[in-house]
Amino acid sequence: MRTDVSRRMPLGILKRYDALLYPLVFISLLLVAWEVSVHVFDIPAYMLPAPSDVLDAMDSDLINHTWVTLQETLWGFLIANIAGFFVAVMFVHFRPVELSLFPVAIALKTTPLVALAPLLVVWLGTGMASKIAASALICFFPVLINSVKGLRSIDAESDELFRTYQASRQEIFWKLRLPASLPYVMSALKISSSLAVVGAIVGEFVGANAGLGYVVLVSSYHLDTDIMFSAIFAAAFIGLAFFWILEAIDRHFIFWQQEGAD
Amino acid sequence: MQSTAIQAPADSQGGNALVGDPLLTLQNCSLTLNDTHILRNIDLEIRQGEFVSIIGPSGCGKSTTLRLMLELLKPDADDSSGAGKVIFPKVRPRRGMAFQKPVLMPWLTVRGNVELSLSLGPQKTPQSLRRGKAEAALELVGLLAYANYYPKQLSGGMQQRVALARTLAAEPELLLMDEPFGALDEMTRDTLNLELLKLWENRANGLKSIVMVTHSLHEAVSLSDRVVVLSSRPAGIRTIIDVPLPKPRSAGFVSIEETQPYQQTIARLRRELHRED
Ligand SMILES: Nc1ncnc2c1ncn2[C@@H]1O[C@H](COP(=O)(O)OP(=O)(O)OP(=O)(O)O)[C@@H](O)[C@H]1O
Ligand SMILES: [Mg+2]
Repeated sequence: MRTDVSRRMPLGILKRYDALLYPLVFISLLLVAWEVSVHVFDIPAYMLPAPSDVLDAMDSDLINHTWVTLQETLWGFLIANIAGFFVAVMFVHFRPVELSLFPVAIALKTTPLVALAPLLVVWLGTGMASKIAASALICFFPVLINSVKGLRSIDAESDELFRTYQASRQEIFWKLRLPASLPYVMSALKISSSLAVVGAIVGEFVGANAGLGYVVLVSSYHLDTDIMFSAIFAAAFIGLAFFWILEAIDRHFIFWQQEGAD
Repeated sequence: MQSTAIQAPADSQGGNALVGDPLLTLQNCSLTLNDTHILRNIDLEIRQGEFVSIIGPSGCGKSTTLRLMLELLKPDADDSSGAGKVIFPKVRPRRGMAFQKPVLMPWLTVRGNVELSLSLGPQKTPQSLRRGKAEAALELVGLLAYANYYPKQLSGGMQQRVALARTLAAEPELLLMDEPFGALDEMTRDTLNLELLKLWENRANGLKSIVMVTHSLHEAVSLSDRVVVLSSRPAGIRTIIDVPLPKPRSAGFVSIEETQPYQQTIARLRRELHRED
């Protein structure tokens, strides 16, 4: 359990460094083993390039493509979360909205994004817009579901407490529903942060002239496996960094509850 | 009676009413929820200056009775013997509720939780006065030193006291309590009962009457002036017993069980509770 106290104690700090140290050491060992095996077993570069070759392939081009994917991811994430939360608020306050929109949301969730992506390109072109849309679409449902769950997570007693003081709907929303939903919204953000990257890259696979998905696709045609790896790493890095930032925000601001949502 | 200790605030309508005047009356209240008949023709008058306890079999409708008093629920309007009514003298008394669970907001500090009752609804306290009132209420329950803690850092007994402070901060005239100390161990419970008694005897902040639901005969008899015994569902009032113990009681609270009127009242209540009818 994570409480306000334990985070201020020295032990907590030690543990935090542990959480960084162990994976770093492990990953370094893995990279060394990989580098060595490629040379020892003489694996062809188009099958598995050595990490040093992948590092060489990371040039300014890669940074530009990463920047494109990063922007698509962030916009998709932002749009999905704002829209998802807003629709969730509507669901919770107006039953007819929920009844009419929920089936649509389910249909959206069950339609594979890969099937929709070409349509998005047709509608929005090969630029960033179609990728942002793909990214937002894939994030939307988990955000919606978690937010609804969070906004509904208040118990009967809290509700009665507020009604005893004749709290207005706005007061119930701002002082009860919203804070009660934050742990759920936070896990929605974390889930959608990884999905947002997936959405952007799927969009790029379908039709693009920039971005990491585009790099992966093009390098696979030319068997430039080192470039492909560099793009894969960059994509993984975006996802990880994004998740870590959200995790840090979560730890700092949502101190009262860790468990809560899925 | 301790009528002299009552500090009637100027803005309170009942301020110059006499001790003994009704503060809230349940008149012929029946209640049916989802086709379940829960309350049956409840007639009960809560008068100023009295401490009333409600006891009865579990699930009979004690909490529901409090919800009627809070107007969270409305009595049936189409009862065969006429519509039920909750009656107030001219103006509704300010009511505060202490629930069985503390119901604290985990994201607010202890002070923030106490201030919550001051920052909601049409009668909210101006922002600048909240902090002072909240801290005064915390002082009252002996938790001022914990104002900056979060609920999770406190024991169950302390949390319940914070909840009490939150209720008291809003200066209720009618304090309703639903087994407020029911989830606590006996020692903590005893301590809190004594604290409550002292608070009651001092009539802090315009407090006029208390209605408390309890499962403990000891609590009912040692604290209250009258004990209402409810029958099992659909609950009606089986009887109301006056407690013939002298007041104030806080001085002799620890040895109250040794007195004869105490024991007789307990015995009487027990007989009423187990009576078949
Ligand atoms: N919304 C509802 N719909 C139908 N029945 C309800 C509803 N709320 C409460 N009840 C029923 O009303 C009865 C009285 O409930 P209440 O909570 O008032 O009992 P209680 O005397 O406070 O019980 P306890 O001693 O367990 O606290 C219970 O049997 C409960 O099942
Ligand atoms: Mg109850």
